[in-house]
Amino acid sequence: MYRVSADIGGTFTDIVVDDTENNNIKTIKVLSTPDNPANAVFNGLNSNLEIENIDFIVHGTTVGLNAFLERKGSRVLLIMTKGISDTYTIARGDRKELYNVRYSKPGTLVPRKDVFEVEERIMWDGSIKTKLNENDLSKIADIINREDIKAISICFLHSYVNPQHEIQSRNFLSKLIKEDVVISLSHEIAREWREYERASTAVMNSYIGPVTNNYLKSLQKQLEGSNYKKPLYIMQSNGGVIRAESALEQPVKTLLSGPVGGTIGGQALAKLIKRPNLICVDMGGTSFDMSLIINGKPSVTNETEQEFIPLLIPLVDIHTIGAGGGSVAWLENEALRVGPRSAGANPGPACYGKGGQEPTVTDANLFLGRLGKESKLGGWMDLDLNASENVLKNLSERLNISPVELAEGILSIINAKMADAIRTITVKEGIDPREFSLVAFGGAGSMHAVWLAEELEINEIIVPNDPGTFSAWGMLQTDIRRDLTVNFYQNFQSLEKQKLLENFNKLKNEATELLKSENVNESDMSFNLTADMRYIGQEYYVNVDINKNIDLDEINKNFHSTYEKQYGHSTPEGPSEFINLRLIATGKIKKSESVKSIENDETIKDSKRKIIFNQKEFETKIYARHNIKNNQRFDGPAVIEESTATTVIPPNYSIIKDEFGNIIITKDK
Amino acid sequence: MMKKADPISTEIIRNAFISIAQDMNAVLIRSAYTPVIYEGKDCVVALLDEKGEVLGQSSGLPLFLGNLQVCVQETAKIYGWDYFKEGDIFFVNDSFFTGTHLNDITIFAPIFWKKQLAGFSASRAHWLDVGAKDPGGSMDSSNIYQEGFRWPVTRLYENNEPKKEIIEFLRINGRFGYSLIGDMNAQIAAGKTGEKRFQGILDRFGIDLVKSARDEIFRQSEELERDAVKNIKNGTYYADGFLDDDGLGSDPVKINMKVIVEDEKITIDLDGSADQTQGPVNCGFAQTISACRVAFKLLINPKRPVDGGTFKTLEVTAPKGSIFKAEEPAACQWYFSSLGLLIDAFVKALSGSAKELSAAAHYGDSMVIFIGGVDPRNNFPFLSVEPTCGGWGGFEGSDGADALINNVNGGFKDLPIEVFENKYPVSIFNYGFRENSGGLGKFRGGSGLYREYTINTDGFVSLWFERSVTPAWGLFGGKDGMPPNVNIKIPEQTEKNILKANGLQIKNGTVLTTYTGGGGGFEEPLERKPDDVLKDVKNRYVSIEKAKEDYKVIITKGLEVDYKATDELRNK
Repeated sequence: MYRVSADIGGTFTDIVVDDTENNNIKTIKVLSTPDNPANAVFNGLNSNLEIENIDFIVHGTTVGLNAFLERKGSRVLLIMTKGISDTYTIARGDRKELYNVRYSKPGTLVPRKDVFEVEERIMWDGSIKTKLNENDLSKIADIINREDIKAISICFLHSYVNPQHEIQSRNFLSKLIKEDVVISLSHEIAREWREYERASTAVMNSYIGPVTNNYLKSLQKQLEGSNYKKPLYIMQSNGGVIRAESALEQPVKTLLSGPVGGTIGGQALAKLIKRPNLICVDMGGTSFDMSLIINGKPSVTNETEQEFIPLLIPLVDIHTIGAGGGSVAWLENEALRVGPRSAGANPGPACYGKGGQEPTVTDANLFLGRLGKESKLGGWMDLDLNASENVLKNLSERLNISPVELAEGILSIINAKMADAIRTITVKEGIDPREFSLVAFGGAGSMHAVWLAEELEINEIIVPNDPGTFSAWGMLQTDIRRDLTVNFYQNFQSLEKQKLLENFNKLKNEATELLKSENVNESDMSFNLTADMRYIGQEYYVNVDINKNIDLDEINKNFHSTYEKQYGHSTPEGPSEFINLRLIATGKIKKSESVKSIENDETIKDSKRKIIFNQKEFETKIYARHNIKNNQRFDGPAVIEESTATTVIPPNYSIIKDEFGNIIITKDK
Repeated sequence: MMKKADPISTEIIRNAFISIAQDMNAVLIRSAYTPVIYEGKDCVVALLDEKGEVLGQSSGLPLFLGNLQVCVQETAKIYGWDYFKEGDIFFVNDSFFTGTHLNDITIFAPIFWKKQLAGFSASRAHWLDVGAKDPGGSMDSSNIYQEGFRWPVTRLYENNEPKKEIIEFLRINGRFGYSLIGDMNAQIAAGKTGEKRFQGILDRFGIDLVKSARDEIFRQSEELERDAVKNIKNGTYYADGFLDDDGLGSDPVKINMKVIVEDEKITIDLDGSADQTQGPVNCGFAQTISACRVAFKLLINPKRPVDGGTFKTLEVTAPKGSIFKAEEPAACQWYFSSLGLLIDAFVKALSGSAKELSAAAHYGDSMVIFIGGVDPRNNFPFLSVEPTCGGWGGFEGSDGADALINNVNGGFKDLPIEVFENKYPVSIFNYGFRENSGGLGKFRGGSGLYREYTINTDGFVSLWFERSVTPAWGLFGGKDGMPPNVNIKIPEQTEKNILKANGLQIKNGTVLTTYTGGGGGFEEPLERKPDDVLKDVKNRYVSIEKAKEDYKVIITKGLEVDYKATDELRNK
């Protein structure tokens, strides 16, 4: 039998197949099919195995994200409480740029003309001040039918504490409008206060709802047609999976699932090689993604902003900056700058031979020999060393330095930028990067990893097997996960334990039902309760773990120490309060013990070439990764090549390939 | 002479300075106790060099641009540079020293590396209450002594030890002493973050290389600015405007500006502006300079980070004893109202020679509302302090932004109704755009807002609404935006419209409705494209009647433009 994951990228779709009977993992790389991304998956699978022999499929979908990024989602009609519906368009009134008299707001997904009001009002304590006026809804139903609107969101004030009117509205409307209209209720999508952010999340759910749902339904049909009998699982932004049926209800929760696989892979790796603290970095052509595994768990945040649109959804905390192989080196007033501008894919770096006239990070790597001129970038692109040399020479003359100095300088600047970005995320979490190992994957990550580690004084760098498809492998390592929240605005000092317990049990029962609907056995369920807490008067909160026995003193202690850890100070005598209770419900999925094997790529052979490190040329050994034996140890300088990535190790580092096939690089003492 | 830093180290160090300031700011905002800082972003942090020049700065509040170095440099002027010892942390809030009101607390600390003074960390944040005669600050103070405790530069820490007596002194002089200490600790934590990161840079590159990289970074900034200023036509330009009053019911208060552009240099001369007033609209000169820098930054290299090389081409002069260079004992609580107007005036003055960079005026001031009392739900005292958004001016190619925070504020976000109603015994039943408030123009001014508060307890309201005498002006034929208004209905009293109030006593059931102004329009309204007018009608910013009256565009009941009738009407 097989366990299968599919990660759909812009150019390639990566499929990882875990053959559980033969304990063997293999990778299939096929060209993506943007019109219907599922076609690539079927093409890849059909030519390699019998689909009916698969008993687990997990899939990361980018259909919704693309619809959002290209603004090709559905027209959404938003319904809010009478008198305050402009809160959505006001969007809280902040300026994203401080010095700009010609500032324009980023804009919302629903124009003001499509925001409607309904008479009703629920108060802060959940009491009803004004009953829902169904006449207002009837009028809106007429518009929905007349203008053939396919997606609706409803966000009433204080629905996170009393959802009655939102539910009543859906029941009333569904009798009057077509069955295929997506209706998103804000309290179901994000049970938290803040009407603008909650409305915005519900709107996103509706906006990408129809396109995501059509896609998932057609994929399911195709799978059934191929005699696949088991459930289809969808990757969520929170790092867990849910069944496609559940994903249909809340597509917004799968919106940012794309890069999550890598972090979840990091989590599995942390367990496998017993390194609980990892900094995961993924460097591609235009962007650099960072995420953290702390004590064996990915860091997950409960809200995000995408292109200035706030979303109250739990997601694996992945930070991105504009730094990648395509980052351009340029001059501003005779001073050298690198990035954030990228040459993109077109014209791309000069070495792509498509007319790029500015040197990029990839050109610097090629010029210094760190990237071999025979290597095929991403497995397919030929490189033109002369072009790189020319553009570097031109720029270096203007700076009055040698091309080698410039090329190494470009890399130093981009590495320092990436290291600064890593520092910033660790500062915010209150952690010390020196206690972490660095895991590098993605196309360019392992070419820069050692230098990032050097900057951050990290001692150990890990390059997993086949780093180019690490994300897809990560998806196979997930469990079912549901995140539940309840608003619990409570002064801690006057809190009764009983009240906390009641709320916890309520959440737990709700979560148990959800997991049951995913066919999880009770013995495979686990629950993790946390609380958002802060000192009275604050707005931002820290997320505090609550142990099973719910001991108030312990919660109090945890709060102050979590706070101290993040901010460097705390006020143990200060009064505190709860805002939300959050429950993470996990349904364990059985995984295999298979270790990924290296595919023999005959085009890659052991060799030697000259590489420049620190302005000196070294005759450097090039290792084909499949030729390195487990537990084999060797020293830098060295380069390890495989079809999807190149790992560069400068002098004074040593390398070992561990029993699982990971490359582990450490600095010589 | 010191060796010139190579371009690569220089760029790495430059990026690091920017990143250090951002980390400091993140620590401050995330750990602050009061909403004025974490929501209002009423704060700034900076990393300074050993002479107090800016290496990196991150500002939540534009108005604090380039102001922290003054505190360090003035302190050194008084006591000398060897006054700063390892393990010191300083505190200051005197308005005539910092330029701003007493609520803005500046905390700075020397950073040492290998026993030598290498730089400073500094931050400034608005503390909710510093012991003024009224909670949070007064709308009607007539001298600085009514506005709170006033401290010269004072050590908070010595030898890394807190001076407990001083901190206790501060604590008991604020009405919310506990949050005051929290905000102080947040500022100290931000400083520590800066210190640690800066020392890391020094460890790696050594102090000589860092200094020579700094010189190169300053040179780059200065030259970039000189190049940008050269593009503005030489000449002398003028603008003026009026504040409604000084807060104590005076006549309108004049601000007068002359801008001289001469090759690579810009001089802002504020001669002719009002003498310092009895009411609290005065400010110290340090803050006037900052405001001029904000104005300058709006037009000159707005995206370039600020450092010690910036603003070398800008000179500011103001008459001694005027509202812009006030002297003891002038009241300074609302120092920023005149500065917001000053910033708008600068853009207006240069608009004739830099039309493509300019925009019509915005609604103008923070429009602050205080609501206070005792919350009947838990018997705790509460105080809500809120600025309000309004419309911004139109500009070439675009309408002004609707409902945006004013120019002296930055990342402020309005408080969600749901959070507001949980925190305070107040209901907000109506909040939205104020129809037809944006000034007419080919590119219209942005829309102002109304916000209606129903207050469910006895208590008080204080108001600071401005710019009814000089509402947001239009440019190049665009019309002015609508001025602000506030309506208050206290049970059993006649309803009234007022813009300013200090501690006005209110009864349970009082309804307060605030209306903020719109932005000014840009170019002639009759040049506005009929389709843009139609879009406004569809989105309910403009009524069909107003479309005809103001823009001479005929829109049918089916929401379509009648082009023929429009042409006829427009060509009549």
